[in-house]
Amino acid sequence: MRGRPGGANPGKGFAVSAKTFFRRDFTPYLVFALPLTFLVLFLIYPMAVTVLRAFMPAGNKLVFDSFSLQGFARFFDSPMYLKALWNSFVVSFAVTVFSVLMGVPMGYFVARVRMPAKNLMLSLGILPIIMPSFVGAFTWVILLGRNGVLRHFLNRLLSPLGLQVPPIYGMFGMILCMTLTYYPFVFQLAYGAFASANALLEEAGMLMGATRWRIFRTVTLPLILPSLGASGLLVFVRAIGNFGIPAVIGGDKYVLPTLIYFRVNGFWDLNGAASIAIVNVLITALVLWLQKRMISRREYETISATHGEIQLHQGRLVRGVAILYCAAVLAASLLPQLTIIVMSFATSWVGLFPEGFTLANFLRIPSYSGKEMFNTFFLSALATALAAVLGSIIAYITERKKPRGAALLDLSVMAPFILPGTVVSVALLSAFSGSSFLKLTGTYTIIVISYMVRRTPYVYRSVAANLSQLGPALEEASTIAGANWFYTFRRVSVPLILPSIISGSILTLTTLLQELSTTILLYSSKTRTVPIQIYGAVADGKLGEASALSVVLLVVVFSIIYGMNKSRGKSIVSSFKLG
Amino acid sequence: MSRNLSYHGVDKIFGKGGKNPVHALRDISFTIEPGELFCLLGPSGCGKTTLLRATAGLETISSGRILYGDTDMTSIPPFKRNIGMVFQSFALYPHMNIFENVAYGLRVRKLPSAEIRKRVAEVMELVGLTEELKRNPSPTGLSGGQQQRVAIARALVYEPSLLLLDEPLANLDAKLRRYMRAEIRRIQKATSITAIFVTHDQEEAMAIGDRLAVLRMGVVEQIGTSDHLYTRPNNAFVANFIGKMNFFNARLTGADRARLEGVAVEVTVPPEKNRIPGAAKIGAGAKVLVGARPEHLEVGARPLPGSLPGTVRIIQHLGQVVRYEALLDGEVCDAAVEVDMPSMPPDVREGSRVHVAFKPGLPFLFLPREAD
Repeated sequence: MRGRPGGANPGKGFAVSAKTFFRRDFTPYLVFALPLTFLVLFLIYPMAVTVLRAFMPAGNKLVFDSFSLQGFARFFDSPMYLKALWNSFVVSFAVTVFSVLMGVPMGYFVARVRMPAKNLMLSLGILPIIMPSFVGAFTWVILLGRNGVLRHFLNRLLSPLGLQVPPIYGMFGMILCMTLTYYPFVFQLAYGAFASANALLEEAGMLMGATRWRIFRTVTLPLILPSLGASGLLVFVRAIGNFGIPAVIGGDKYVLPTLIYFRVNGFWDLNGAASIAIVNVLITALVLWLQKRMISRREYETISATHGEIQLHQGRLVRGVAILYCAAVLAASLLPQLTIIVMSFATSWVGLFPEGFTLANFLRIPSYSGKEMFNTFFLSALATALAAVLGSIIAYITERKKPRGAALLDLSVMAPFILPGTVVSVALLSAFSGSSFLKLTGTYTIIVISYMVRRTPYVYRSVAANLSQLGPALEEASTIAGANWFYTFRRVSVPLILPSIISGSILTLTTLLQELSTTILLYSSKTRTVPIQIYGAVADGKLGEASALSVVLLVVVFSIIYGMNKSRGKSIVSSFKLG
Repeated sequence: MSRNLSYHGVDKIFGKGGKNPVHALRDISFTIEPGELFCLLGPSGCGKTTLLRATAGLETISSGRILYGDTDMTSIPPFKRNIGMVFQSFALYPHMNIFENVAYGLRVRKLPSAEIRKRVAEVMELVGLTEELKRNPSPTGLSGGQQQRVAIARALVYEPSLLLLDEPLANLDAKLRRYMRAEIRRIQKATSITAIFVTHDQEEAMAIGDRLAVLRMGVVEQIGTSDHLYTRPNNAFVANFIGKMNFFNARLTGADRARLEGVAVEVTVPPEKNRIPGAAKIGAGAKVLVGARPEHLEVGARPLPGSLPGTVRIIQHLGQVVRYEALLDGEVCDAAVEVDMPSMPPDVREGSRVHVAFKPGLPFLFLPREAD
């Protein structure tokens, strides 16, 4: 293996003597041991315990002498479990399909039609995924709830046709909400694929006499299929793991993440929750595998080195349709954000329109939610810093040292990427509660660990991609010049990957500030965060307080992302992409 | 500076013990003299880059020894070997300006900053970048040729005992490549540093190297000066890799004589051009190859004594010579033969019937090629 530190040379004429042993550079091993220990202790071990617990009778006891399929049997004999499984399937599948249907045309329009304000559309198009998704959920209650202003007008429009807007609580609400939250993944990735496709390939088709539609069908679309598959998968994984939206507007319709929450919070039945978690993960893994299988046959290398300029559609009709479509989609998906800002300044919004302007909702924050504010920023910042170190070092190991089992390491770091937040919580609770050798329940530590486990993939991916692009020659040049491993790491590797560490960290920080699905199972009165506070306020019907807190989060997250895009000009959506 | 570099039975097997071990280097043994500019030449995958990286310590070797003078380098980690290296991609640091790039090895060695400034200025003068050093831009703002010079300066500044160049010209355009190879030779001679230059381009290797080693599939096929390899190739592979060589199927009839397959033509070669090793122990009737470079043949519309009939496929005017590509009748030749003529003989056009003849005293004899 190339470049393994101090790799031995068992051969003629020399053995590994004590002298050469001490001449080797051992710093890397010390630096690498720490992240590996972390992974084993806080990811692999808890997941293993979860798998064990899944096969134990209901309760929270780790009893090794009793093996039971009770947890899984419920999926066959309990109507509630069956329904939850079915609902999860239907919601995730529908959300994926609708997101693709919404996002692909929009990506095509923005990439291939001449229209104004494309950059604005692209940045507005990211907003829904960087906002807390459950915030979107409760604003849809305001808009489409029983007295919702939008419902009122839509029903007027629809009543001549004998139609009515379905109730927002339940399947309709969940699908609507998640689609409007997750379509940006498809939109942004489709845009990237359509914009970067090699124009020469399409021109070649045209010269051979194909019509535009034929070219789209036989050249353009097949070439962007891998991107579409990746974005569809991303949406599916997010949708099936989403806790906030079903918790707020699911009503009596349970899905797997809310069912897990119910098992833990209602019954402290960790073993039962573990069974559900396993089922949840298996479904995700199955979909991931199917996608890989379908896509792997369709990955194409670009053969030609030169790219031509893509010709944009100029026709007036096409442009009109494209602009209207994009504006309508953006308006619909940004409605929650607008609503919430209005709501936060209103004394109440029970009828059609908000009433009374007030700043009270904001002024109350320090006294009502001061501790939560501190916790959110403290926990997120600490976890981000630690995840940045962890992710960077692991990326360095897998990309540069290429040890035996690098693929396994990659898999275990990336695994939390597809693990729903509730599953990570269940795993950590399974391993570190009750009579565990390390009892962490209710502490800040367990929340920081859960954040790190879930978000290290962001930094890891970002840095690994950067490193593989840089190539090892830059570091080898330093070694040749006489620098030892640590000097090279400090002076060459770290400065070079710093931009990717920063962008990975910003993504981590902004998503952690609004984290709900993991925290909801791990928090104690001491460690409450702002999203928990918002969730509680919504449940208590205190929409004013919830809106004000959400607006604060929104402003903070938006400022960070805006600041990053300003300084780097890079789409953050690609950082969410799966391998 | 006065020590040589020698390889003793160097072997490298990638994925040893695995399912698909790759034998990248086999029993490599030779010596590079002090101050020599030595070329490692071979097609891609021949092991030349592996050998260079093993010399640098970036690659471990499976067995054998690499000695610098009497010092065994094999177990010395790369950062303690005091070697300078120029990478194919140049590997300049985009986060440092060119001064810091060049000063890197000196900073590693903790030299005082006045000394660093002086040595960087000296080496930049040597590579002809004094003006650029005053502006001191980031390397990304330089042209390809200038980046190349910075890379060379960075490798030379700490006075390494050995300079390694890994296809350093591959990223430059054709004109700059010819210019820079002369520059590299000038700089190497000015510093009289021992240098190893890896390339797959035989023209480049012949132009720049004091001596060349031709590698194929991890084996050194031949070592010698450009002239030696061109006029005395050891085997058919080297003969056709260093310049073009046409091969004719034949059977041995005497000591330095062979009869061409399927035609009644016998070719006699001078003893020094019989490149069949004495150890081969083959007698009359054995299959051999008669080799002739394009300039060792001539074409004409009329038959000459001992000429072979064929058809012209393509005529290319290359300036100094006209190259004819002809397909010979029968099975004497597996591929079209290339013939260089100083001028265009009349009555020979593309598609014409022609006769190809050997100029006396010039052809070679080789053993048939093993399957490659």
